[in-house]
Amino acid sequence: MSGVVEVGLGRRTRRGLAVWAWAVFAFLYVPIVVLVVFSFNASSRVNIWGGFSFQWYGEALRNDVITSAIRVSLIVALVSTVVSMVLGTAVALALARYRFRGRRALDGTVYLPIVIPDITMAVMLLVFFAEAFKFIDSFGPRFTLGISTVALSHIAFNISFVCVVVRARLDQFDRTLEEAARDLYATGWQTFRRVTLPLIMPGVAAGGLLALTLSLDDVVISAFVSGPGSTTLPVYVFSSIRRGVTPELNAISTLMLTASIALVLGSLALQRRRASASQQTQVL
Amino acid sequence: MTDPVAAVEIEGVTKRFGEVVAVDNIDLAIGDGEFFALLGPSGCGKTTTLRMIAGLDLPTEGSLRIFGEEVGMAPPDRRPVNTVFQAYALFPHMTVRQNIEFGLRMRGIKNPELSQRVAEATGMVRLAGMEERRPDQLSGGQQQRVALARALVNQPKVLLLDEPLGALDLKLRQEMQQELKALQREVGITFVFVTHDQEEALAMSERIGVMSEGRLLQVGTPREIYDRPASRFVADFIGRTNILEASVESASTVRLDNGALIEAETSTPAGSRVAVSLRPERVRLQPHGTTAAEGSSLDGEVRDITYLGHAVVYEVAAGPVSIEVRVEGEVGEPFAAGDEVTVAWDRGAAAVVAD
Repeated sequence: MSGVVEVGLGRRTRRGLAVWAWAVFAFLYVPIVVLVVFSFNASSRVNIWGGFSFQWYGEALRNDVITSAIRVSLIVALVSTVVSMVLGTAVALALARYRFRGRRALDGTVYLPIVIPDITMAVMLLVFFAEAFKFIDSFGPRFTLGISTVALSHIAFNISFVCVVVRARLDQFDRTLEEAARDLYATGWQTFRRVTLPLIMPGVAAGGLLALTLSLDDVVISAFVSGPGSTTLPVYVFSSIRRGVTPELNAISTLMLTASIALVLGSLALQRRRASASQQTQVL
Repeated sequence: MTDPVAAVEIEGVTKRFGEVVAVDNIDLAIGDGEFFALLGPSGCGKTTTLRMIAGLDLPTEGSLRIFGEEVGMAPPDRRPVNTVFQAYALFPHMTVRQNIEFGLRMRGIKNPELSQRVAEATGMVRLAGMEERRPDQLSGGQQQRVALARALVNQPKVLLLDEPLGALDLKLRQEMQQELKALQREVGITFVFVTHDQEEALAMSERIGVMSEGRLLQVGTPREIYDRPASRFVADFIGRTNILEASVESASTVRLDNGALIEAETSTPAGSRVAVSLRPERVRLQPHGTTAAEGSSLDGEVRDITYLGHAVVYEVAAGPVSIEVRVEGEVGEPFAAGDEVTVAWDRGAAAVVAD
């Protein structure tokens, strides 16, 4: 019994795994590449290459229905992200910090929107809005489904996601830091503003980013609760696909893809800059 | 205390957490400019007492005054005290300077006073040149200094320190003990510090309050606490000691349970059961049969010898009791295991403690 014990995999297994990994990679990315390539297709036939062109991007951006859908999507995403960041953080703080009547029940149900199927959520919200409108209308004003109901629905599910992410951050928060701030003459609000919030900010930002992505992505719920003139971009894409895939849709999808990649890269760059900044001072 | 106004005055303070009584009816006065230690094992209520002075916990009952002003129920930002926390609790997202400035900014102090006071505090704890670093780029000792500067820059009337040296290694700890003492003399502020380390308490403080199970057992100078412990717990907790069961014969003699009569001053009435505390380093070993001119002695047999380098510890069996004798500064070992010896001590070395 001598020599090195062979703990690694055999050469054959290793090669097999490498091929498999490439296959998975291809499975994930080939459709994306096809989409992007055909968005620059000069031909109006989706599956036949007719030369390179930006033509479909131009057409998509000249199409009023599409630009309106992009506008709606952006407004809904921004509003629901900001609102759910504030409310989700508040809920997370309340759950992590205070004991109050119904805390346990709330703690268990706040994550419900994450687990229940989109379609259930959509039907639920639609029924809710119908009942709420009936009630409000009895006082005079008339409400209908529109951009505000879409935004409200997105807030409804985004709060849960923000809450989960912020809660995780709060669980590892050292509360003596808050005591130290109080000891150094900070009031309750100043302590939150100067110590608690800056320290949980990475969690709040991550939750916000998640909310933004989910909102830009949502089809099912938005389709149910939107009214005339408040179609979001994914809903528009979904409904026009029934009329067949057009190069225009490829162009829009590529734009959405680019936007979400930019979003992710942007947040990564932000994190890296912060990390390297603190490393730099360490060297000094 | 003869001081007219105590820096901290605690009167009948009790703190309950639900069913648990953390602090049980404490009375304590800490003088202006004093270096006071609250000493006790973990869970004895010393930290809770400190937190009540800071305002981080509120007393369930009783009154708490700082320089005569009742603050028992005041929030921490309304008290003229600052705290050095156990793990320092430095704000990780702020630089050293921002940490130190924090208290001043919260009270609305502006430049040029702000930067002048920060510079002063930074210099006092020898942190000049490190103002722009973040806490995670500092060593444990440096973090400790930042925590000190962050508290002292506010010129509190009382500085509270919660196990301030607990996180440091032994060598640094001894250095910081000296520095803290010097710093306290320099600023002249009352320091109240919590520790479970009796050596630290003895070395640093002017007076010590020993706590156990929520009660304040004894308050006194290190010498009083060490030489005249008020109870068996205090005698046992502070340093090493031999506890001998006994009963009182008269105001100046007690009879040990093995029958020996020894000299010891006591105010406990004759016939009471007591314990006698004999410090290992206050007793001598003598050849068997020699008696001291004054003081008391016990005959026994050497059971065991432990060599510690700077001292030799003999375990002597005197009848049913075992006595630890610590001999320092002696070359060689004049006695061997099995030798018949006499354990002797001077009048006053034996302290009678109540049960």
